[in-house]
Amino acid sequence: MKRYNPIVLIAQVSPISAILGLFLIVPIATILIVSFWDYSEFMLLPDFVWTNYYDTLSSFVTYKTYLNTFKYTILTWFFTLLIGFPVSYFLCFHVRTLRWQIVLFLICTIPFWTSNIIRMISWIPFLGRNGVFNSMLISLGLTNEPLEFLLFSDFAIVLAFVHLYTLFMVVPIFNSMMRIDRSVLEAAIDAGANGWQVLTNIVIPLCKPGIAIGSIFVVTLVMGDYITVRMMGGGLRASVGVMMWNEISLLLYPPAAANAVVLLVVVLILVSLMMRVVDLKKEL
Amino acid sequence: MRERRGKEFYVLAIFFTVFVIFLYGPVSAILILSFQGPNGGLTFPMNGVSIHWFFALFGEQLVGDFKAAFLRSLQLGLVVMVVTIFVSVLTGLAFRKKFFGSTFLFYTTVSSLIVPSILVSLGIGLLYNLMEWEAAWYSSGMGAHLTWTLPFGFLIMIAVFNRFDRSYEEAAKDLGASNWQTIRYVVLPIIAPSLIGVALFGFTLSYDEFARTLMTSGVKNTLPLEIFGMTTNVTTPTLYALGTLTTIFSLVVILTAMGIVFYMQKRRERFGTDAGKGV
Amino acid sequence: MDKTNQSGNSVEFPSKKGQSVSRRNLLKTGSAVVAGTAIGSNAITGFPTIWAQNIKNVTLRQFGTGVSNINEIAKRAKQDLGITLQMTALDTDSTAQRVVTQPRSFDIADIEYFTLKKVWGSGNMQPMDIRKLKYYDQIVGTFKNGKLTPSSKIAQGTAPHTVSFVENPTDRKFAKGQTNWYTMVPTIYNADTLGIRPDLIKRPISSWTELLNPEFRGKASILNIASIGIMDAAMVCEAMGEVQYGDKGNMTQAEIDKTMAIFTEAKQAGQFRAFWKTFDESVNLMASGEVVIQSMWSPAITKVRSMGIPCVYQPLKEGYRSWGGGLGLSRNLAGLELDAAYEYINWYLSGWVGGLLMRQGYYSAAPATSKLYMSEDEWGFWFEGKAAKNDIVNPFGQKMEPAGAKRDGGSFYERMGKVECWNSVMDENRYMVRKWNEFIAS
Repeated sequence: MKRYNPIVLIAQVSPISAILGLFLIVPIATILIVSFWDYSEFMLLPDFVWTNYYDTLSSFVTYKTYLNTFKYTILTWFFTLLIGFPVSYFLCFHVRTLRWQIVLFLICTIPFWTSNIIRMISWIPFLGRNGVFNSMLISLGLTNEPLEFLLFSDFAIVLAFVHLYTLFMVVPIFNSMMRIDRSVLEAAIDAGANGWQVLTNIVIPLCKPGIAIGSIFVVTLVMGDYITVRMMGGGLRASVGVMMWNEISLLLYPPAAANAVVLLVVVLILVSLMMRVVDLKKEL
Repeated sequence: MRERRGKEFYVLAIFFTVFVIFLYGPVSAILILSFQGPNGGLTFPMNGVSIHWFFALFGEQLVGDFKAAFLRSLQLGLVVMVVTIFVSVLTGLAFRKKFFGSTFLFYTTVSSLIVPSILVSLGIGLLYNLMEWEAAWYSSGMGAHLTWTLPFGFLIMIAVFNRFDRSYEEAAKDLGASNWQTIRYVVLPIIAPSLIGVALFGFTLSYDEFARTLMTSGVKNTLPLEIFGMTTNVTTPTLYALGTLTTIFSLVVILTAMGIVFYMQKRRERFGTDAGKGV
Repeated sequence: MDKTNQSGNSVEFPSKKGQSVSRRNLLKTGSAVVAGTAIGSNAITGFPTIWAQNIKNVTLRQFGTGVSNINEIAKRAKQDLGITLQMTALDTDSTAQRVVTQPRSFDIADIEYFTLKKVWGSGNMQPMDIRKLKYYDQIVGTFKNGKLTPSSKIAQGTAPHTVSFVENPTDRKFAKGQTNWYTMVPTIYNADTLGIRPDLIKRPISSWTELLNPEFRGKASILNIASIGIMDAAMVCEAMGEVQYGDKGNMTQAEIDKTMAIFTEAKQAGQFRAFWKTFDESVNLMASGEVVIQSMWSPAITKVRSMGIPCVYQPLKEGYRSWGGGLGLSRNLAGLELDAAYEYINWYLSGWVGGLLMRQGYYSAAPATSKLYMSEDEWGFWFEGKAAKNDIVNPFGQKMEPAGAKRDGGSFYERMGKVECWNSVMDENRYMVRKWNEFIAS
């Protein structure tokens, strides 16, 4: 086949390059530059100082916040995987017709198309001190005092994350599972493998790329989150995103930028670790 | 696997059902509460049943303007959708071959998904500030949305072209079709159903985008920002009425899109091609 | 950028009321209070002045917090002046952001005085010529020399008069005394204290210390706006006797550290149920019973009460923390728009808006003009602290208080006279904000 005409090629890739250049690369470069600037109450002072990084990295609160964010990330990752894997497995191997797969899949996706914020606040009347769940527990006689940890707590935050992001885990795993050659499974069963062995020796290894892609989604979404922690934590809990947002809303752009750079580095390290499991190009 | 359904099936089916209840549970609380009576509050119990709050939503409001925000989000979503389709197809076409910088471009696009949204938001906000450009939902806001929708569209197109059977194209060329004719009459019709997927992603990701819009939409709010504002400033079930309406709107959009896909598949069955079936 | 545009309950507004009441009051009170004629004619006929024809087509863009950026005001301004006002409601922190980062996006800034202190130096605002302000004489002393009455003592913190004047229109530093250039026209202010749920607490509360009383573990809340929250925190620590402040409105680093240490300890012990940022959040927390004692703003209390839930704005023996807001002009205003802005601000002080705000529990900067737009009973209840003769109804038609009720804390002079400190921007602001963020994150 012929080589590409360079003019055609340039025409094809320039729109995406221009958009990502202007709205991704240049803005991140801006953050990097501003993270070294000084600031006053109301203005940015171009400069080259390390104080923003120093303030960020020398405060024990930063480490606590990162620790907290990692906690949310790991818990969310764990539960989305714990839920997402069996759900995909069910859809893929137990639902026999394509039509039903599509129908069930749609049932799962429909709530996903509702505003995230609305899905989040919908937990509040549900979990509050006088909410549906507590009233139910009390009327069933399971508890006398309403359970307070249900809302404005780490529990509520992780619950909301799992609620919001499980689908991001289901889709790539489902995609990986659908590509598993059924004859391999049948061969294994014919060779005497039991269900558990099939699962651990064939299905899980072959799903690794899907799990990795799902994990990348979940991890990056949770690491950069601001709104879920703010709303479900009642403003009491901190994550890196919340800390950055507090700084932004107080016009402390340079410290926020320094924080952003640190966050970016952390996320890129995490993602590159996960990328080792998967060759993204081959997975598509 | 044609054996009878075993215990495993039932266990997983129950698990799946619980998962679905988990997904729908809280949203249904909102659906119910949006029909609170005129004196009802934000929480149970219901204080009568009415559609008072839906009227309240469209009537004169104390502060803010939800209708305008909705229209902005709708327009923005549609424009972002069109741009996403157009740019993803172009990029997808380019990526059918390796070219200088293709790996770099690939990873840049992927990183656009990975970089936390708050960074994109902050970066664009700062850039516009320093350049003294006026941030607005239709300029900086749209750019921010594209950093989110384009990678999805791009990855879908790569997947589509990976499965694309080149022999159709070659056949067309053998029959004397020009490059443009090949794309227009052979390639595009085959990938059309996947474009619906790209469109759907493009529209809904933009329509519902919050974090990347936060610092990039300028002085006017998009719908998610307006909703966020309402969560901190509203003490009546109007908020829930809005939730119910947006849910219904999303449902209509997705069902329409699915309808189109099914229609196209039917048509295709009649005309009998299976190219591009993979996605 | 923290956009908090919101919308609220759809309201029924008794639009005729303002006028009829004013007429009646005018007849009764005659020239008693106000420089009569101008106001009288304005109140009745609207506001036809020389510019009226030209300014009809002017659109002014105003932003501010949800408390005063309500569509009712825009509607009425359109009626009376013909000016179109575009209102955007933001949270307190975002208002500062807007002035600093998007100076071209607004004509009128409706901000608090401590915010003004932060952002004035950006040069994005311009002061007003006092000679063009019709009702300058009616503005209470608090916003001129800091004294409510000639004998009052000036409270700590960023008292409004300290940031109200500049020597020259282009100055970025505030003047020491009164000058001809007014940085902001005051419109709204109040004395804040703790809000409580008496039905859930069941005993008298009389001191700021109660906010950290372990009895209310998991049921207390404080607002997460650094410049305001730190003052509430200081009131508590001072009342507990834990910290002695030289000046609460201008703390030293050590004082900030001590204050935040006490609050961080309480937070870690689970004292707080949540933190809030906008006043509706505080309403939701209180009304749902998640919180029984918290820092709160006066109209939030009335809102909770209008839902039929008991809630008291508890006067405390240590005094009040006060705040004030006003209207400032964008640097970019000129010509016809500038004239229209003056016209609007004069109209704002002429009484109707003041009445609207007073009947929600705030105070108007020119109370005398507002009186014309309130019934005698309303004036007695909200301003004079007298028992209500009839049910007190807010401007949106909701019943706030039954006949016989009295305002918590009493009259205007009793409440504003016991102001201990104002919301503040300190010399150590940068340090304070960092520590406050650490407290929130801890």
